[in-house]
Amino acid sequence: MKTDSNMGRGASRGLAQAKARSTAQAATVFLLPALILIAIFIVYPVIDTFVISGFKWNGISTDRVFIGLENWKTLIHDEMFWESFQHNLIVMVFSILLQIPIGMLLATFLDAGGKKFNIFKIIWFLPYLMSSVAIAFLFVYALATNGGLISSLATIIQGKRTTIDLLGTAPNALYTIIGVMAWQFTPFYMVYFIAGYGNIDTTIYEAAIIDGATRGQYLRHIAIPLLGPIFKTACTMSLIGSLKYFDMIWNMTQGGPAGSTELMATYMYKLSFQQFNMGYGSTVAAGMFILITAIALFFTKVFKVKEDY
Amino acid sequence: MKRRVLAIIFATVLTVSALTGCGSSASAPAAAPATGGSETKTAETTQAEATDTAAPAARQTDGKNLPELTTEPLTITLWDIATEDPGKSTQEAAVQRFMADYPNITVNQVHQQNDTYKQQLVVAMSSGQAPDMYMHWGGGPMAEYYKSGFANDITDMYAKYDHPEFIEAAIAQSSFDGKLLAIPFGGLSGCDIYYNKTIFAELGLEVPETLDELDAVCATLKEAGYIPFALANASKWTGSMYFMYLVARHSGNAEFDAAYTQENGGTFTSEAFIFASEKIQDWVKKGYFPDGVNSLTADDNQDRALMYDGSAAMMLHGSWQSSGMKADNEEWYTENIGIFRFPEDTEAKAKGVPQDVEIGTAIGNGFSFNCFNADGSVDQTKLDACYVLATQYYNDATYNDMQVAVGAIPSIVGYGAETVDDPNDKYVADVFFGASNVQLWYDQYLPASVTEVHKNCMTELFGLEKTPLEIGQEHDAAMQKAIAEQ
Repeated sequence: MKTDSNMGRGASRGLAQAKARSTAQAATVFLLPALILIAIFIVYPVIDTFVISGFKWNGISTDRVFIGLENWKTLIHDEMFWESFQHNLIVMVFSILLQIPIGMLLATFLDAGGKKFNIFKIIWFLPYLMSSVAIAFLFVYALATNGGLISSLATIIQGKRTTIDLLGTAPNALYTIIGVMAWQFTPFYMVYFIAGYGNIDTTIYEAAIIDGATRGQYLRHIAIPLLGPIFKTACTMSLIGSLKYFDMIWNMTQGGPAGSTELMATYMYKLSFQQFNMGYGSTVAAGMFILITAIALFFTKVFKVKEDY
Repeated sequence: MKRRVLAIIFATVLTVSALTGCGSSASAPAAAPATGGSETKTAETTQAEATDTAAPAARQTDGKNLPELTTEPLTITLWDIATEDPGKSTQEAAVQRFMADYPNITVNQVHQQNDTYKQQLVVAMSSGQAPDMYMHWGGGPMAEYYKSGFANDITDMYAKYDHPEFIEAAIAQSSFDGKLLAIPFGGLSGCDIYYNKTIFAELGLEVPETLDELDAVCATLKEAGYIPFALANASKWTGSMYFMYLVARHSGNAEFDAAYTQENGGTFTSEAFIFASEKIQDWVKKGYFPDGVNSLTADDNQDRALMYDGSAAMMLHGSWQSSGMKADNEEWYTENIGIFRFPEDTEAKAKGVPQDVEIGTAIGNGFSFNCFNADGSVDQTKLDACYVLATQYYNDATYNDMQVAVGAIPSIVGYGAETVDDPNDKYVADVFFGASNVQLWYDQYLPASVTEVHKNCMTELFGLEKTPLEIGQEHDAAMQKAIAEQ
């Protein structure tokens, strides 16, 4: 008996082990492709970026000169870098302040309206479906001082040739681009919040209504608080997105006029590929990496506190 | 917490992965400004048939003093940006003629997109995938390719073997540090002032020959409600044309050359540079440029649009504009558009400053060769083949005729004004061939890091955001830094 039961336990342990082993094997097999890709295209480039940041290198030549932390010293005192970082922060703050509330408002409107507002849902989502490059060209034409939409309208209203220069002067350009970005990305957050509303259990809504809550009270006291985690993720995405923003701004202003819309990413690109300064360009990229990670971590930390509270 | 950290790291990591990833990034930016005269946009041309002439016994290179090419199989990788006709068929035909004459040699001709070409080249070079023969626009980048060991010095070959008789300016612009690094093949581009003849006639204006006369013309135009100069300065290299010419008329090449080396007191704050900046800012203040000049882009031809709608009367621009305007509306162009060279500075002239230094590109496009063995020595077999292809098939009579047919002027002696039909292009060629020196566009001639500063300064200059002295100082600082880093 004893041996039997021992045998039984042993067999079942063996079985469990075998199962665990096969699960581990299967997991390895399934994860391997993704891990390899991540290692090649993400982990290695990041490490390499940090490595290159220690060299003086034009990006072409076979001889790289190791200069230690020289590039990093330059970066710390590089006014242009910190100025572009400032621009990034401005873009970040306005992106969060514009895109998320407006996205949420539209989502609330659509959620309340139900199926009959589907047409709005489709129309409002359209900007997000366009590529950034196309949007950039669209707005460059619309905002052109010569025959652009805005200037032409102004000319008609004023009755004489009027020029509204939104992209060609220093403070205007950055805020104009922030506006265009909001136009592009608000629909994304709208859909995101619509999905959030959809995830709230209908029984909660029913319970609230039975308890005598109005639609407004339900939204204010139940639905929106329940969207908390979604809201947090949306903010984090918007934050990271605006800190590494590149494509549209490159196609609209290339960082101009005179660097007033220069972002960290456009600065990095110019250094690396146009000015033959890959070493320092990589330093800027690595600097971006550190800054963005730090800000994102700080942000989620602050949010966690609020959530617990 | 750990998972969150990881998630954020993965999200942010995408930022930097674009930099070191191998090959080209998919979302390469589209609107790198096409600087200078490389893009001679031209009307459709009849596609000359130029393919295989069934292995002729006689080669078109027979009887010429050229290196004996290998009879072994050889493959040459060639990069250009000829994605569109007429350039595409002209250049493909040259390669076809070469391959027909040398059937053992295969030319792998790759047409890259212009917009991302420079980045593609940098990435290819850094990863050891550089083509054997590649086009470029000369200037600072060409020097950079050479210094990094990706361009053969062909001075000796050029002296020893036959080649087309390129004009001096083209050879000068294909050289760096006294070494010939490229064979020109794109044709030249001048830079002169297009003007609306109808508006000039209406106001009884004459073509100005001095800067004072130009000032007077501008004043009259402004008074009559016209914008004197159509300029789209979001592109920056367009505003730079005014700056370069004012410097050239005031000091010839002397002050720019001195400032370029920063030696013997050479500086971008010297008289001619201050003069140029002050003149431009004076013109800006007087309203001689369109409103919102810094947000109009030349890539979209917004400057040309101001000429078309009759609101502007003059436009200082590269000579590729003729064919562009002709393609848009030939009738209007013929009726209204004339051209004159940038007026002279009488005061400077009295002091003996040459007034025939012109701005433009004589090289247009050049081919440099990257023929090296693994140990760094020159791969002469390949280089010989590349040399013959670039000098004898590109740049041969067939090639040049096709170039001329679409309004380009080969930078070869003999292809002067008489070979061109369009009167404006004729004028450009005359000015160009009569020049004592042709200064390549600053934004291609200066080191890349200085170019960036120069272009930003052009925005600030026309936007009245910096004083002439500050503009000069910024150039100096960038130039000194670039020299120190060499």
